[in-house]
Amino acid sequence: MGIMDMFKKKKESTEDKKGIFVPITGNLISITEVPDPVFSQKLMGDGFAIEPAEGKVYAPVSGKVLNIFPTKHAIALLSDDGYEILIHFGMDTVTLNGEGFTTHISEGDKVAVDDLLLSVDLEAVRSKVPSLITPIVFTNLNEQTIELKKTGSVTHGDADILEIK
Amino acid sequence: MEKSFKITDETGLHARPATVLVNTASKYVSDISLIHGDKKVNLKSIMGVMSLGVQQGAEITISAEGDDAEAAIAALAETITSQKLGE
Repeated sequence: MGIMDMFKKKKESTEDKKGIFVPITGNLISITEVPDPVFSQKLMGDGFAIEPAEGKVYAPVSGKVLNIFPTKHAIALLSDDGYEILIHFGMDTVTLNGEGFTTHISEGDKVAVDDLLLSVDLEAVRSKVPSLITPIVFTNLNEQTIELKKTGSVTHGDADILEIK
Repeated sequence: MEKSFKITDETGLHARPATVLVNTASKYVSDISLIHGDKKVNLKSIMGVMSLGVQQGAEITISAEGDDAEAAIAALAETITSQKLGE
């Protein structure tokens, strides 16, 4: 017991709030399985992907909304610990021109883990695009990589899904 | 040095073309910027480029400063044409 333990406790609780949480309820898969080489070959960066079971995207980190693409299918976040994260809902969804997408946040907003960012009409969108698979890309990892700790069925807000090495 | 382009791609400067441009720019040591209206971003940053939300019909300027600025601009112009992004 003592002062050192007090500091230790404080560090642990700060670390609990950091980290990456599941943004969409669905099936968590490796980014290499995304049906578009721009993502599967990690050209934008490493990350992971989700096959959505529902059309709701929640904040995977605490941070700030950097950018919402005019067609609302892509959102860029800056996490409190400095990661730039791009959530790109579905493949070729830029062509939908925003139809079926509703944003719940604005550029510059601060977000907390699991805040609702975007709602998507899955059934309306599903038939119009080649895939709903949504990559979540870390665009400024530099030499670091993402190692998934689990795959398969996940729920938004789930913790402990990956390590950044 | 600088060169301007008009974006003709229907979907503007979205994920795929932005990535190609950024990857091309990142091969050069020069400082390279993408300018759209009154906004200027680092062309070596995907987030920077995507944040401009450049759409079809937009005018953009690429500006490079450094030892290989000329080569960089040429390569980027080539990318824009070959990717059918603009002219």
